[in-house]
Amino acid sequence: MSQKQREIQETIENRDRIHVVMFFLSYAFLFLGIGILVCIVRIQTSYDVDNKVIGLFRPSSVLHVEHPVRGRILATDGRPLALSAPLYDIYMDCTVRKQYYKESGKDSLERDWRKKARELAGYLSNQFRDKSADQYANAILKGRDNNNRYLLIRRNVDLETLKLVKSFPLYKEGPYTGGIIVETHEERIYPYDSLARRTIGYVKDLSRKGLEDSFDSELHGHEGYEWRRVTDNNRWVRDLDSAVVAVQDGNDIRTTLNVDFQDIADRALRAQIKENPDVRAGICVIMETKTGAIRAMVNLSRGDTPQTVLWERENLVLTERGEQGSVMKTATLLSLVEDGYVKKLNQTLPTNNGWVPNWRRPGSASEYPHDDHISDYQRQTGRRDITVMHGFEISSNYVFAQLAETYYGKRPQELFDHLYSYRLGEAFDFDIEGLRAPSVTRPGTPAWSNSTLGTVAYGYGLSVTPLHVVTFYNGIANRGRMMKPYLVESVEKDGKVIKKFVPSALNESICSPATADTVTRALRAVVNTGTGTRLKGAKLPVAGKTGTARVVLPSGQYQDAYGRKKNQGTFVGFFPADKPKYTILVTVYSYLSGQSFYGGTMPALAVRDIVDQLYALDEEWRPVLHPTSSVPVMNSEK
Amino acid sequence: MSLGELWRKFRWGMRSLRNGELLLKVGADKFYMHIMYLFLLMWLSIMLSLKVDKALARVGDNKTAIEELRIYHSQKEAQLVRLHSASAAEKRLRELGSPVSIPKEPAVIIKKK
Repeated sequence: MSQKQREIQETIENRDRIHVVMFFLSYAFLFLGIGILVCIVRIQTSYDVDNKVIGLFRPSSVLHVEHPVRGRILATDGRPLALSAPLYDIYMDCTVRKQYYKESGKDSLERDWRKKARELAGYLSNQFRDKSADQYANAILKGRDNNNRYLLIRRNVDLETLKLVKSFPLYKEGPYTGGIIVETHEERIYPYDSLARRTIGYVKDLSRKGLEDSFDSELHGHEGYEWRRVTDNNRWVRDLDSAVVAVQDGNDIRTTLNVDFQDIADRALRAQIKENPDVRAGICVIMETKTGAIRAMVNLSRGDTPQTVLWERENLVLTERGEQGSVMKTATLLSLVEDGYVKKLNQTLPTNNGWVPNWRRPGSASEYPHDDHISDYQRQTGRRDITVMHGFEISSNYVFAQLAETYYGKRPQELFDHLYSYRLGEAFDFDIEGLRAPSVTRPGTPAWSNSTLGTVAYGYGLSVTPLHVVTFYNGIANRGRMMKPYLVESVEKDGKVIKKFVPSALNESICSPATADTVTRALRAVVNTGTGTRLKGAKLPVAGKTGTARVVLPSGQYQDAYGRKKNQGTFVGFFPADKPKYTILVTVYSYLSGQSFYGGTMPALAVRDIVDQLYALDEEWRPVLHPTSSVPVMNSEK
Repeated sequence: MSLGELWRKFRWGMRSLRNGELLLKVGADKFYMHIMYLFLLMWLSIMLSLKVDKALARVGDNKTAIEELRIYHSQKEAQLVRLHSASAAEKRLRELGSPVSIPKEPAVIIKKK
């Protein structure tokens, strides 16, 4: 073999060796790859990673979420109606140091701990006064014997009390010897308890009502986020290398509610209804005439049974839609005067013995029930005609059905157009959600009958909420300018106004000022000589209307088989009648009862009480005394 | 470099280290100022870091103190506001046997003509 052939042979052998190495290497990588895949699958599915390993990969900083402080709800003068502060629950780990004392074999240490626990029990009993010292001591020592690590001592403790409790024997030695465990929870505090509670609302977990719900976006604020790390001294501090989102506390909302007005209205209403178990609920609204600001909104109800205490359970002012009865006669009168059909309040109409003639089918029976007020009137006066004013004073259904049939019988839509312009046909925007839309039987609808027009004229066939009624009367008091009722006047941040809500009108003119004055005269007559005489002689002159309505039962009837009825009595009006400053509505609702409830009794008495108290409170009506002579100057030097 | 040469250098290095002459023999004395400067920077960095931690811990303590004061203020305010209503005042006066009650007439204003 030549030299060249030998070199070629060596080259081939070398190349074969490389091929073999490459061959094994490629297989080695293949198996390695498969092994890695198997490991990945195992780690992903069943491998339980050691906590020490996890710790190595975990960042040293942890995310801390800072919760904002919920904003306050303030009364118009700034007094807080709702505010947030944490309360504390105190628990006790009764087993603290027990094992250590046992292992150290020093019984004296255990005896000493138990002695201090008895001492602590005395202090706890003295502080909370809910259990005796022995009861507390037994609970703690029994908890120690039974290895109870979570013995409840007291819930909802404030900060001041907590600090005091922490200074008690045993507890002052800290959690590792005293065993005190404190849990914090943010609480919403309502300092006036039930006062305006349904208007203010509540917030509990995810459930919210009232202003707490409607203005939650303002009150809640925004959470803050920051990363925290542990220092060499084991303190948690902010990690300056990471981004921070600052916490933004909630804004405060200032309401139009006046705590004194609310208090007066609440007490006056309670005084009227608390002794009568047939009363299911009572409501009161006080509205400022010029602005529509609601100064008080009371919603007292008993719930399902008469035995339960009166409490703000539901916002009946917004939700209790129903036929309001005679208080709606004012809407008919306003329309008649505004349209010029009633030019003077002493305009007369025939009494017809209290029967509305059937003009559609002359000679047939009346489509309306008989009005006993007219029979009484005829008997007492011997007259066969009655003025519109007197019909309004005695709240005659006949007079208003007759007027409606006479003037709107052929064009009923004309009256309904007026009712819609008084906003009695639709819901409007309000600061609390849940205002129910009225229910109106309109001409041309299947529910419309020959007697619907007249019944609507005296307050049936039209279901509205009390807020609709008081807003309408406020429009008359404000000489035709119907203001939108509102509850929130501003949103504030640290005492600075950031959003202001100004009064606005729902209807700039529901009637002319002259019409409003005429109807006000009729409303004053109701108080002076009509159904509202319980308000005659109130410290401020009141103009208003009583209303007594029967509530439709689920059977569709107004009374059950035993003749029992659900009644509602209302008084709505404004004061002082000559220069109205406030509009007020009080309604009382009954359970099924044999008793009758009239707007001129309990509601009128409640209104009188409220008016008399507001008179003493409001600066505007303070009498001014001018001194007739000057006080002599006392000077000892002269 | 052969293994023998590597072994010789290792022995030389160990001997110099034992005699305390290593840095001089490698000529590090030329960089003495730089090394001292580096140490100073490191010392400063550690000191500042500790100071920052201490300040942040104080910030945390102060925040806690402010929060406690806020809570205390809110709870006290709620307690006071509870007493600040006409009903509460009237009830308290009744309990104390006082004849004073809510005024029936508004206060008279005395004005010069």
